[in-house]
Amino acid sequence: MVTSNVELPGLNCGLCGFRTCEEFRSQLASSPESVRRCIHLSENRIQQDAPAAQPTLAVQAESCSTGCGSCSGGQTIARPQMKGQLPWKDSLGRDFDFYLEHFPEEPGPREIIIPHNPIITRELDVQVGDILIGRPLGMSCGCPITHCGVATQVDMRTGVIVWCVTGPLGPRAKGFKDLGYYIAEGYEGLVKNTRSELRVGMRYYFQPHMCMLQWRHSGLLNYLNRTGDQWQVRLEGLWIG
Amino acid sequence: MTARIYLDNAATTPPDPRVIEAAQPFLTRVWGNPSSLHQEGREAREAVDVARRQVAELIGARREEIVFTGSGTEADNMAIQGVALAAGDRPCHVVVSAIEHPAVLECCRALEQRGVAVELLPVNAEGIVDPADLERSLRPETRLVSVMAANNVLGTLQPVAELAGIARRRGVLFHTDAVQAAGKTPINVQSQQIDLLSLSAHKLHGPKGIGALYVRDGVKLPPLVPGGGQEGGRRSGTENVAAIVAFGRAAEIARLEMASEAARLVRIRDFIIDSLSQAIDNSYLIGHRFRRLPGHICLGFEGMEGEAIKLLLALDEAGVAVSSGSACSSNHAGQPSHVLQAIGFNPIKARGSLRITLGRFNTMAEAERLMEVLPPIVRSLRPMHGMMRHDKRTSAAV
Repeated sequence: MVTSNVELPGLNCGLCGFRTCEEFRSQLASSPESVRRCIHLSENRIQQDAPAAQPTLAVQAESCSTGCGSCSGGQTIARPQMKGQLPWKDSLGRDFDFYLEHFPEEPGPREIIIPHNPIITRELDVQVGDILIGRPLGMSCGCPITHCGVATQVDMRTGVIVWCVTGPLGPRAKGFKDLGYYIAEGYEGLVKNTRSELRVGMRYYFQPHMCMLQWRHSGLLNYLNRTGDQWQVRLEGLWIG
Repeated sequence: MTARIYLDNAATTPPDPRVIEAAQPFLTRVWGNPSSLHQEGREAREAVDVARRQVAELIGARREEIVFTGSGTEADNMAIQGVALAAGDRPCHVVVSAIEHPAVLECCRALEQRGVAVELLPVNAEGIVDPADLERSLRPETRLVSVMAANNVLGTLQPVAELAGIARRRGVLFHTDAVQAAGKTPINVQSQQIDLLSLSAHKLHGPKGIGALYVRDGVKLPPLVPGGGQEGGRRSGTENVAAIVAFGRAAEIARLEMASEAARLVRIRDFIIDSLSQAIDNSYLIGHRFRRLPGHICLGFEGMEGEAIKLLLALDEAGVAVSSGSACSSNHAGQPSHVLQAIGFNPIKARGSLRITLGRFNTMAEAERLMEVLPPIVRSLRPMHGMMRHDKRTSAAV
């Protein structure tokens, strides 16, 4: 047990939060455990005694059913419900034409991507079911966030991969293959809420519903098929903004 | 309009008005070349000498042991390349910690191309080098050990005296990059047995473009920039007198105010750390709780590492400047932080952290303002995680 009789270094460095060692000694009298604040007393002992930087987890992997299929849960994703008046504004206040939802039976939004060096697909031996990470660098489509996903189709000849984008828990728990940079070539998904008439060949602003940044994207609509009360679409030539 | 709050003092610090005042005459009235023999030259020479003494006093060195450079990076290169160059054709082994600044690591990589053996020392989960690891790494041909005094990403302080003592006993030179630590923690090159030490002015409220290398008397270091023989023949080129004078004044202020300033910053730092842990339940501190720079906070948000860049942008929009503290930026997104990986973070987690670094002009009121702004921003990123936890939905980035 450390007491206020401990011999302080006398450096008066202030790193303990007190201007002088004497001020610190006064604190020690009522709070002996504060001795950890002095980094000079015993570097290694304090190191061992110091509280470890333990994260306070808001989400525990064990209790999380992400639906991405890559961790313990395995449930399918429930699509976020949009109630009331839709804002039709992205997080930067810009208008868009429709929300892009992902297919409910898939673990996340479907993207068609190609690594910046397509040979990577072969070199990493990417297979259906593999967990991948990478960032969509450049004009297509320039998002600053590293993405994670599960491969659903792989074309070894062209390097093109179709994946479903998921959260980071799967890669964290199960490992991954790192694509480095990739190009997002196209999105496929569902449109349930639109305020514009959809026509093949037109370029639209849209809001991918699961986009972390909630930035609008734009893309050329080159596939459109009505399924019940929603439209199945494919968008290529993607840009952010 | 609310004034902006600058909390990125590990990147650079706002110049102190007293520093600017000291330098001003040397941009206008006193413009002589310090190498000239006439009065104009002598006046400039005298100012450079005063500044050299002021910088030396900050680290307990002698005036003659300070070499002014163009930056901390140049000082690192001068030290490491200089030692390797001095080895000539003899075998050369250099030991550096795995969390060094790129100024050191890239310099070492370049040396490897020239046949120098480089060994990286591991660090523990808090970013601290185990002296026993250093002891084990040393070989008969080891010529230099370089371990930074404080890490720029984590803020963690190394046991420099202990590490340097091991090197000294084994006859190996010890260099420390003290760019982050100088002026914030006590450094004494004599008692800590440091042979080479790098400094940078703009990290202690001085100007950019000026640094220094402490070279212990007796250490042989061939010049990397030959020429007119300035700086004791170690770094030729006409001295940047105004910047040197400013550096000297900045070093003097830092030395005189270090204890009270450190205590003040620790209070603000601890207020932020404690408040954050209460306000944001998935936040965690990266690095050692106490063994860190007085104004340095490196944070992670569990499950939201990919969103550090958004946090940074949202805080910027709210008038608060911080740093992502990692490579999760448009320029480096393909490269997870080597520092965070070295402390055991996987490549996903190593892509996102938030660095809040305080300086001389930050106040408790600003910290309180930060605590008003940051939690709502973090919570605004949470719906996806809330879905995971409560609604069994997933997060995804598109």
